[in-house]
Amino acid sequence: MNSFFLILLILLAGAAISFALGKISSIISGTVAFLSIASASVLFFTQLKNNTYIEFPLGEIQLQWGIDSFGYIFALIVLGLGSLASLYSISYMQNKERTGIFYFNFVLVITSMVGIIFSQDFISFFIFWEIMTWSSYLLIIFNKKDVKEIGVKYMIFSAIGAYSMLTAIVMIKGNYNTFLISDAIQAGAFNFTNNEYIPILLLIGFAVKAATMPLHVWAPKAYSNSPMSFTVIFSGAMSKMGVLGMALVLVRIFTFNANNEAILPNFSPIILQQTLAWLGAITAVIATLYALMQDDAKKLLAYSSIAQLGYITVGLAIGTKLSVMAALFLAIVHGIFKGALFMVAGAVERQAGTTDMTKVSGLIRKMPFTFFTALIAIIALAGIPPLGGFVGKWMLYESLITESNSYFLVILVFFSSTSAFLYCYRFLFGLFLGQEEEATKDVKEAPITMIIPMLILSVLLMVTGAYPGILFDPIAKGMETIGFNNVTWDMSVLGNIWGNSVNMIYVWLTIVIVFIAAFIFLTLKGLKGTRYVSTKDISTSGEIPLEHENLTFQINFFQPFRRAAAPMYKRSMDKIWNEIGSGLESLFNFTRKIYTGNGQTYAIFVIAFLVLMLLLKDTLFLN
Amino acid sequence: MEDLAIKILGAVLTTIMAFTVGMFYGGFVRKLTARVQNRRGPVVYQNFIDLLKLQSKTTNIAHGFMHHMAPIWMIIASLTTLMFLPILNGNLWFPNISFHGDLIFLLYMMVFGSLGMALGAGQTGNPNSAIGVTRGLSQMVGFEIPFVMSLIALMIQYKTTSIQDIMIAQNESGIWNMFSNPFAFLAALFAMFGMFRYSPFDIVGAPAELASGPVSEFGGKYLGTMMTANSIFSFFKLTLYVNLFMAGAGNINDVGIVATLIAIVILLIKTFALYMVPVFYGWVSPRYRTEQAIRYFWAWPSALGLIGIVWALI
Amino acid sequence: MVISPVHYIAVPLLAAFLIPLLSKFIHKELARIVPGIVFLYSIFISITLMLQIGDKGIISEVIAGWQAPWGINLVFSPFSGFLASLMSIIGFLIWLYSYNFKKIDKEQSQKYHILQMMMVTGAIGIVLTGDIFNLFVFMEITAITAYSLTSFYRERDGAEAGFKYLLIGSFASVLILLAIMILYTQLGTLNMAEIAQKSHLIPTSLKTTIIVLFLVGFGIEAEMFPLNGWAPDAYSQSPGPIGAAFAGIVVKAGVYALVRVIFTLFDIHGAYDFLIYGGLITMIIAETSALAQTNLKRMLAYSSIGQMGFVLMAFGIGTHQAIVGALFLMFNHAIIKSLLFMSGSYLTYNSLTKQISALSGLGKKLPLVSILFGIGAFAIVGLPPFSGFWSKLYVLSAAADKNMLLLIMTILAVSIVEIIYYFRVVSTLYYGKQNPEIEIQKPSINAMVSMIALGITILVVGVYPDVITNLLENAATALTDKATYIQSVLTQNLPIN
Repeated sequence: MNSFFLILLILLAGAAISFALGKISSIISGTVAFLSIASASVLFFTQLKNNTYIEFPLGEIQLQWGIDSFGYIFALIVLGLGSLASLYSISYMQNKERTGIFYFNFVLVITSMVGIIFSQDFISFFIFWEIMTWSSYLLIIFNKKDVKEIGVKYMIFSAIGAYSMLTAIVMIKGNYNTFLISDAIQAGAFNFTNNEYIPILLLIGFAVKAATMPLHVWAPKAYSNSPMSFTVIFSGAMSKMGVLGMALVLVRIFTFNANNEAILPNFSPIILQQTLAWLGAITAVIATLYALMQDDAKKLLAYSSIAQLGYITVGLAIGTKLSVMAALFLAIVHGIFKGALFMVAGAVERQAGTTDMTKVSGLIRKMPFTFFTALIAIIALAGIPPLGGFVGKWMLYESLITESNSYFLVILVFFSSTSAFLYCYRFLFGLFLGQEEEATKDVKEAPITMIIPMLILSVLLMVTGAYPGILFDPIAKGMETIGFNNVTWDMSVLGNIWGNSVNMIYVWLTIVIVFIAAFIFLTLKGLKGTRYVSTKDISTSGEIPLEHENLTFQINFFQPFRRAAAPMYKRSMDKIWNEIGSGLESLFNFTRKIYTGNGQTYAIFVIAFLVLMLLLKDTLFLN
Repeated sequence: MEDLAIKILGAVLTTIMAFTVGMFYGGFVRKLTARVQNRRGPVVYQNFIDLLKLQSKTTNIAHGFMHHMAPIWMIIASLTTLMFLPILNGNLWFPNISFHGDLIFLLYMMVFGSLGMALGAGQTGNPNSAIGVTRGLSQMVGFEIPFVMSLIALMIQYKTTSIQDIMIAQNESGIWNMFSNPFAFLAALFAMFGMFRYSPFDIVGAPAELASGPVSEFGGKYLGTMMTANSIFSFFKLTLYVNLFMAGAGNINDVGIVATLIAIVILLIKTFALYMVPVFYGWVSPRYRTEQAIRYFWAWPSALGLIGIVWALI
Repeated sequence: MVISPVHYIAVPLLAAFLIPLLSKFIHKELARIVPGIVFLYSIFISITLMLQIGDKGIISEVIAGWQAPWGINLVFSPFSGFLASLMSIIGFLIWLYSYNFKKIDKEQSQKYHILQMMMVTGAIGIVLTGDIFNLFVFMEITAITAYSLTSFYRERDGAEAGFKYLLIGSFASVLILLAIMILYTQLGTLNMAEIAQKSHLIPTSLKTTIIVLFLVGFGIEAEMFPLNGWAPDAYSQSPGPIGAAFAGIVVKAGVYALVRVIFTLFDIHGAYDFLIYGGLITMIIAETSALAQTNLKRMLAYSSIGQMGFVLMAFGIGTHQAIVGALFLMFNHAIIKSLLFMSGSYLTYNSLTKQISALSGLGKKLPLVSILFGIGAFAIVGLPPFSGFWSKLYVLSAAADKNMLLLIMTILAVSIVEIIYYFRVVSTLYYGKQNPEIEIQKPSINAMVSMIALGITILVVGVYPDVITNLLENAATALTDKATYIQSVLTQNLPIN
């Protein structure tokens, strides 16, 4: 049997079986889900060779599935993160209700993402895309919180995205008579010379999933309200499907231009490129500003995800070799660190009952492994050397400065990532540092099946920091598949086109040497004289704080910053959309009143219509 | 093998020099400030005495792992940035490993220490520390903006992100960047005020209201190590500025010991002169509240930075 | 016995006469069972005939031995055959569902089943007949049974809804009859094939008048805006399964008539645009009205109207692919909306007001029905891998072929509205707070069987649309190929012996 079908069948069977077993035991159900995803991953990475394709007809429509180097990048994210997240969710979902439905949809989301990666034609692409949308919808409202608002918002925006994509798809069919992605590309469907609606509509479709301004408003609550073990996938992998699509479309537009710059008369691709890049950067800035105001760790991470996706969008939109590489690298690394962080949030939620940072704090001694993961992932998120996050950020900045002259864009991006330090600190401080609270006295470390995936992800972050070449390899191959040529990379030296470089090995060496020396010095010196004290034993100007005294500082955390940046908080896209929504709703209420419920009115309608038609009959039917 | 030994020796020498110079500069400032305020002030080498005292304490208070790690993060940041910074021109002396890093890298490495320190301060549970940290981080978002703008202006001007190339280019053309792109220089200079946290930007660790803020729970070996790290870091920052805007230590064609010493002296003069700017500004300024400080950085300095970029583009 | 299309009409009529006798003299239960047998027989005929027309093409039969154009004839083409088969199957499923439907049993279930059978028969007659006056007669049969079924629960609201339906429906009868009269005076024939052949003989101004009369008349039955005022009330006041029958059968017959008039009878180009705009406006107004509904059945009713608008619009595009899409839409709408009405009426069984809020949290109490409703909701908004997606794709793709970008955008914008209100119901169903006071009604086994059959069809067609596309392709060809229709009706007539 064909491996493509086999992989999808294993996943579907896993979904069905875990659904059936959900009633019996959540652990068994979760284990089945994990096993099916893990075995599908094993099958994928061992059995499928790059650039194998199969074709089969569905009615008149020729479907094509296959795997190329570009899809392989995203398969790494989806299947890797999917396996870890499903392992993680065994304990996370333990003793919860309706686990059958949860695992069913969980595996279905993974299935559909694998399907999207397989799809080489638009029809299967769209089908899997929509399956992904509704199965994730069912997971978003799984916690029964704000069901109407969140679910409806998610569905509306997903539908906007999906339908603009569908419009583009049928237009491609109409113009080029093909549903195959490769044929459409060859016919030039994505470049602007023939039809500018197609790429724009496709980009809108993908931008929704990638949570780009102004289509991002569904994301914060959707990310923070779904069960954390799913948000790992949701933010880490699912948003990358939007990135996949954007890369596919954008690269086609721009490489075409690079080769034919002189011939191309219109500037619209460049305008589009700039618009998208600016939208990405503005998304990053605004999401960051909102992230640092959150009191709930989950929401903080949700906004941060949006911001990070903004960087990726910038990278893709700029469309040079280094920037696309940066974007794809960031996409993978974001999957890793944001996956790890949502796992951390989930672990805290499971162990301490809430992720509200005004209620939980000082967990570092109780959950050391979780803290370690959080620390590593936050360092990567902040883009501080020497972890993987820095590599991506560095490439992004360098590409903006050296390759595309986007100097003002780079300031925006930099502003966002500097402000990101604030929420990075907030996350660590809010959950793990600060005063140890009475309420969280009995919190224990998370179970081992949750710790293992988190630690694996942390190790991955360190490895990608020292040897980013491990990821450059598949990325470069993928980029060559989608149209770049001669993508060069080095195992651990990052370089830009001006010839400047950063050697990560030297960075690591320096840091490790200094670290070891300083650590030994500080630890050994006066080892006996060092006294470990609690968080109540602090200097408070001579006063000794009493047991009940509240020394917690968690509310209005970044108030000074908020005051300084007050004008930027004034407008919110969410409000604008809500206003549009309520405006439309009252309009619809008006149209509804056409149906008065009165038989006489209806009769008048009929007569009036008849008369009108008789009057207009010649103009209507005779031209 | 010999090569490596020389490199290690160079690294050690750089560190010792940075440490000594940084500590002395601190002492000078204390002395000078005292004189301005009509006090006698401590001796110039007072910082060394303080350090000795701190390191010789036998009991130390530790609040946990992150608290223990905080000075280590700081020393890592100071030394790593120092190692990636070319100290003298031509890289014959103290080049360390500056070939392997660039401006963007240094920009990010510079915040490594403050964030690590912030985490340590957070673990103590002292609300004053946490408040200080939030102020410090917010202020950092303020001054990083004009700073990065001026860096971008330089990068555009010389089409390079390497500090060495910028230094060499200045020496070749003979015009310092502070003259060739005065706007960028001014923006960077304003950012520097924030970086050194002298008045008016010293609300982060205000002794009176926050009990010194982030550092309030650190003592003994921890505070000592932090002081060391800070001194090295001061030297790094000053040298970075001098390298970027004042052509480093100038043109050295001779590789002899004497020429090197002269170069070091030039470097010291330049750095000291530069150092006095924030100090002087601090003497005459009252303290800003955090949001005022942030607004301050986002107003004129950032505007200057933008002009600097445009200037470089033209 | 030779199987012929006449059996579609003759057998139910015979049964309708016999049922009162049988139930009186043999067993009471027979009144409920016989219609089911009749439906089964109709399905049997459908299958046989559908297999036959594969070889023979169009089957045209004349009742009472007169040759066309004088005799009354029935035409079983791939197009009308497809609709007749669909109606038989849906009719059977609705019978299966409503057998033992407690609320109907409280009233007189004999009447119900006979009426329902006659309604389906009338609809099948509309589809099969080749004679315009016959079409009118069948339409009246359908309409009268529909009026009485609307007010089947003898309550005030039901009576009012029935009256409104009657009022508007009588307009339809009058207008259609008037049109037929004018047509007859002009051409002297009632045979549709012959009318089609000779339609160029009518003076154009008169021709447009006839068309307007037909359009308005059939437009009422096809629920076109602004002629559809009767529909929401009729759907929501009639018994649950009848809502399904309206959506799945009666409206389909109206649409058929409209399409037949435009595609076959006359050759006027403007009518296609009329269909597009009429359909579009119907769709927009109905779907946006549905958004504001709090009553489940009304919501389904408006959604049904909207879907019919979509169908009309798809026919209006007029290309082969668009017609395939339109037929696919009709098929989907028949099965999906039936499923929605069927499961919906169990979900709101004991709620007097049929409010959507009454569904809150029922997903746990009635898991299977809820899942079926969910499948229906997902399918009707066109999410893959359910069958609704394919029809939408066909229509959109046809529109894209004609470069109707604005049309596509509008359809999809309306679809978003559709998504909003269907998902609101689904999320209330599964994630709403349970109301302990609401008593639930477990569906009977036969009802479950018929709903599951529909659900499985939706899934199978969704995953593998090829099971149906062949039929649709043939049907679409048959509709557009006017010449073959005329020729085969007028020449190949096998009189019944």
